[in-house]
Formats: sequence, C-alpha cells, structure tokens
Amino acid sequence: MIGIPTVLITVEPEESAQARPPRALAPLGFIVGQSLGRPNDPSLQKRIITDALELLLGPARPGEVISREYT
Amino acid sequence: MSETPLELSRYAIPYTPFRGKLEEATICLVTTASVRQRDDRPFNVEGDNTYRVIEGSKPVAELTYDDAHYDHDCVDRDLNCVFPLDRLRELAHEQRIAGVADKHFSMGFSQALRELRHSTIPALVREVERVRPSAVLLTGG
Repeated sequence: MIGIPTVLITVEPEESAQARPPRALAPLGFIVGQSLGRPNDPSLQKRIITDALELLLGPARPGEVISREYT
Repeated sequence: MSETPLELSRYAIPYTPFRGKLEEATICLVTTASVRQRDDRPFNVEGDNTYRVIEGSKPVAELTYDDAHYDHDCVDRDLNCVFPLDRLRELAHEQRIAGVADKHFSMGFSQALRELRHSTIPALVREVERVRPSAVLLTGG
C-alpha cells in the first residue's frame, strides 16, 4: 500500500496531538474557525500554509504538533 | 488490493514520507469545516457523516459552509480561514508549488466516530487516492 503524505493545520494542538498526526502545525493564538489566522490577510495565511507544507520536507517528527507564533 | 481495511496498532502513526520538491507538488485540501460548493447539497449542521467534493477550478466565491459549531467571524468574511484554496492557487502562480489538485474534500460536523472511521473516511480516502495528489493539507473548522 502506498500512502499519501499529509500535514495538518490545527488550532487545537492538545486535541490534535491525541490523534498523533504524521505532521502538524499549530499557529498559536487563533481559535477554531480561524485556522489560517485572520480574514483577508493573504500574506499571513500564506506564511502559515508555507510553514505547514515545509513540514513535508523537514525531518520526520511523527506524532508531534509543532507550535509557532504568528502575531 | 484487499477489501479488508488496513488495521494499525492504535500506537502506530501512519507516516508517509514526502518525496521530491514542493515546487513539483500538487496539493489537495481536506477539511472538516463543512465547506461545499454553493450548488451542492447542504450539510446537516446537527451531524452529518457525508462529505462533499469541491472541484479544484471552483472560485472560493462559489463555495460556502454549513456549520453551527465553530466561530464564524473569520469564514463569513473569508472562507480561506479554513479552506485556503485561493492561497494555494497563489502559491502555484508563484511556482512555490506545482498546483492544486483537481478535487478537494470537506467533511461535516459529526460525533459518530465509528461510522466515520468505518465508512466515511475509507470512502473519502479512496477518492483522494484517485486524485493522486503529492500531499494532502488538512484543516479543521
């Protein structure tokens, strides 16, 4: 079976960690419904997505939710 | 392929390595934020174990959501808050990724975890496999 790499963006890192995701980014300070930060803020949204996608390239840290500040 | 679902130890993490470069990657979005095309049938906000397919070519203006469980302040102004299809398209335009997948997927609110695990998610995963993205970006509500 060939899998597909995944990366999760979560604003509930403690809950998400229980599911032990293969890769996960938690942008700190945002609530559910605001996973990508703020509305109509493309540069912030793109920074968060880019950081999440770059977890695909980094060293394997399966099960770990990586928190970052964006404010 | 066997019809028997793959059973993993609950301690196992199904980690699939990513091969290649982001600049050559096609990205598929999968969300649990109850996003759908406006012309598709609404989710039941009280609980819904179905999922919706969102065509990769759909403008975000033609998408909406059906939800009663997360904060809507952001999505009412910009659906990219939970479903960043515009942002992925911009990254593709900037050649930082190769492109967006032909199809993306959204689940609705559900607490019927057993049904999700045994029917909804396996069906959704089969659809994602047919799309053959380089990677999947998952977002919650």
